[in-house]
Amino acid sequence: MCSVQEDDNDVPFSKVRPNESIGRTCMKCQEKAVLITRVNDAFCRSCFMVYITHKFRATIGKTKLVRDGEMVLIALSGGPSSSALLHLIQEGLSERTHKKLRFRPGLIFIDEGAAVNLPSSERLNNCEKMLDTMRSTGFPCCIKALEQGFDIDNIPELTSPSGTCCPGSQVEKDLGTIDHDTESISSDISTATSSVTLNMSECSISSSMEEPCSNSREAIAVSSLSRVESSFQKYEEAEEKLRCLLKSLNSVSAQEDLIRSIRHKILSEVATTCGYSKVMLGSCGTRLAVTLLTDMAIGRGGQAAVDTVFADKRYKNLMFLRPLREFSSKEIGMYNALNDVESFFIPTLTTKGSDGASIEHLTEAFVTGLQRDYPSTVSNIMRTGEKLSTGAEEESKEYCAMCQSSLDTNVVASSALNAVQFSQRISNRAADSDSIIDKSNKTGECCGEGDGGCNTTRTRVTKQQVLASLCYGCRLAIRKIDDVEKLPLYVLKDVFWRVRREKMKSEIEEFLLDTS
Amino acid sequence: MPLKCGLCDKQAILKRPKTGDALCKECFFLAFEEEVHQTITDANLFIKGETVAIGASGGKDSTVLAYVMKALNERYAYNLNLVLLSVDEGITGYRDDSLESVKRNEIQYCLPLKIVSYELYGWTMDAIVKQIGLKNNCTFCGVFRRQALDRGALMLKVDKIVTGHNADDIAETVIMNVLRGDIGRLRRCTAITTGTDGALPRCKPFKYTYEKEIVMYAYFKKLDYFSTECIYSPNAYRGFARAYIKDLEKIRPSAIIDIIHSGESLSVKKEVKMPVQGVCVRCGYISSNTVCKACVLLEGLNKGRPRLGIGKTHKERLKMAEDLNEKGDSSINSQNFFENGQLDSFSEQSSQSGLSCCRSTTAGCSCQTSEICNDTAGIHSSVDQQKINSLAIDF
Repeated sequence: MCSVQEDDNDVPFSKVRPNESIGRTCMKCQEKAVLITRVNDAFCRSCFMVYITHKFRATIGKTKLVRDGEMVLIALSGGPSSSALLHLIQEGLSERTHKKLRFRPGLIFIDEGAAVNLPSSERLNNCEKMLDTMRSTGFPCCIKALEQGFDIDNIPELTSPSGTCCPGSQVEKDLGTIDHDTESISSDISTATSSVTLNMSECSISSSMEEPCSNSREAIAVSSLSRVESSFQKYEEAEEKLRCLLKSLNSVSAQEDLIRSIRHKILSEVATTCGYSKVMLGSCGTRLAVTLLTDMAIGRGGQAAVDTVFADKRYKNLMFLRPLREFSSKEIGMYNALNDVESFFIPTLTTKGSDGASIEHLTEAFVTGLQRDYPSTVSNIMRTGEKLSTGAEEESKEYCAMCQSSLDTNVVASSALNAVQFSQRISNRAADSDSIIDKSNKTGECCGEGDGGCNTTRTRVTKQQVLASLCYGCRLAIRKIDDVEKLPLYVLKDVFWRVRREKMKSEIEEFLLDTS
Repeated sequence: MPLKCGLCDKQAILKRPKTGDALCKECFFLAFEEEVHQTITDANLFIKGETVAIGASGGKDSTVLAYVMKALNERYAYNLNLVLLSVDEGITGYRDDSLESVKRNEIQYCLPLKIVSYELYGWTMDAIVKQIGLKNNCTFCGVFRRQALDRGALMLKVDKIVTGHNADDIAETVIMNVLRGDIGRLRRCTAITTGTDGALPRCKPFKYTYEKEIVMYAYFKKLDYFSTECIYSPNAYRGFARAYIKDLEKIRPSAIIDIIHSGESLSVKKEVKMPVQGVCVRCGYISSNTVCKACVLLEGLNKGRPRLGIGKTHKERLKMAEDLNEKGDSSINSQNFFENGQLDSFSEQSSQSGLSCCRSTTAGCSCQTSEICNDTAGIHSSVDQQKINSLAIDF
């Protein structure tokens, strides 16, 4: 049947076949052009560099968010975009630049090899290459492994707006954890070749970061065998935990989603403990358009704006910036080619996979395919994102325990969430037990698994309790999980904390006055 | 080993596309209907005693909708007065066949049927395609159908229109609007009821119902519906979004509902200017521009400039202005327009449209017929006037 709707008329214009690209002159200076950026804009090399640099600086400059001398953590993945970002920053900081960038960068690389079961030799190789690149810049840098996210065990400050539950001692303890982790990975790497070290370079960096650096050097120098082995074991344990969790999710899309969330957690953790107030991500416009559409497809529509905006303010004392959001992947590619910027290939979950390997992978194929025929696709998607509210202005009280975005599960009766829950209830008798909704709200006194662990001091939470603390998208991601204990500690602790608060509240409920 | 139904221990014969649960035929019917009922009650779609027109195309969605609405109306005593309402776009070899299936539904479900024709605009899709070609004809069809449905509903004096838009359609529209950067429609498209301000409310009881389940329901109920693609090529761009949704569904079946959830949880920045819904100065129909799309398209058609309402309007208007200048005085110009025989075809067509209205099956429409015919006549006379100073119109 005809599915055309009345508003179908204004669709983007399809591509006008480009004119011959040979023998073109630069649209700015009439020199010989070396490339065509978008549609039909030909540039010579120097005008292209001016264009890119200007766009980069304007993106950072117009928001006036990055202040002089501010410490900014640059997240590198080794891919073309973040490599270009690093190059742009280096150029911007160099003496010959007319208007120098004035922030102080630090670099971080997160090794996600464990998620894709890379052999340790290959992971080591990747880490070494990244370390070489990072060291050559002279900026302070560090390497983290994805599995280290499992050992972060604090309750993020923003989930407790009252701030009372995060006394100074706890923060100190967390610092300790991070230090230990950095040490463990460096020593793990050292076991293999003794050549890679975690380098917090000479550039001044907060005292909290200098310590692990000296520690790890010591570790390399002394190479105390027993110590290395114990760290290695701890590291292996976390790796096993990560693999186990990813496996239990039973879907590549969910795995990707979870990895994204853990990656962000590590970045924010490193940034806050080491005194960085901004994190710069290398996502380019094309990537962000894919992210936005992927977000729509995985039920994260409410977060799509936050995930693609220039300044992501979902964490309280930390900002994620995306200075490359105005660039297309093509522009990044051309910039890298013209400047001999090296980037590394590091496989991901969907590398070599078919289009249907995961939702994100499919979306990427969809967006890039459309972009080829309709060159306005990416900018149209980004324009949609710009008009969406990031929810930063309204003070939402509740956050997702996993991805820290505001909860989107408090919905009216007529909603997709309720419709899904109704469908599950009505077509499956057993569904009630693990359906997403849980109004009975068990208070953690019994985990229902009969292993006797319920009344001990260990933090055990039920699946219902976990799900109740998560946003729609995170619920989807861990829907298939068999045991919520597999989740990273920081999620479980956060959930446990909420359950406790809820219990406290119910105890004093009759004395609370309705303030609304 | 045969799979047992998750609800009643009978042998299951299907796996629900929406949840993956194995069910027997009866339990599936029940689950399907209960879900639609839940959607209707959760959103308070109807009030007892209302007259509701079911937009019936003869396709699977609207056939199942008519069947389920009738069943639920009886089972849960909605006390609704249901009627079928069809639009005849005038596509030979497509719509005439599908209308036959609607007419069979009329008898099978004992629901009164009313058919409104595009001839109410003085055109048929066949004639429009002859003018515009196969490229943009869907624009005309979509815009005219929406209005025709509303006009038909006004003739029948109904309180609401229900349409068979399903979850897949809505997810597809969400994606389309993201791709087009159309924030106004993106915000509106997930609403279960639209047009509450002034115009006739339209609702979508199948908003959370999967297309696959609708087909399943029709298949196992052996419902009689028409399933042929329109002979005129459909909009290619929507096709991309459709293919994307289908691929997503293969990876994760809940993706369709997830997209609707995403659409529902979007919030638009306060500072973004939204189009204001007003009424068309010509026909009084709701429109976000001074003159509604249907009037612009119709004027284009009637002036022999069918591209007037398509794509970048200003380009076409500039061209028209040039032509007018070339030809000198505008009064001579208006003559030119009439000389090519269009006026004759107008009067012919409007008399036809009068006939077609009288032919319609529902009694009590004849009083409205004249009004509609006057309406079309009114458009013609205004077209006449516009020709004299066409440049003064502000679209």
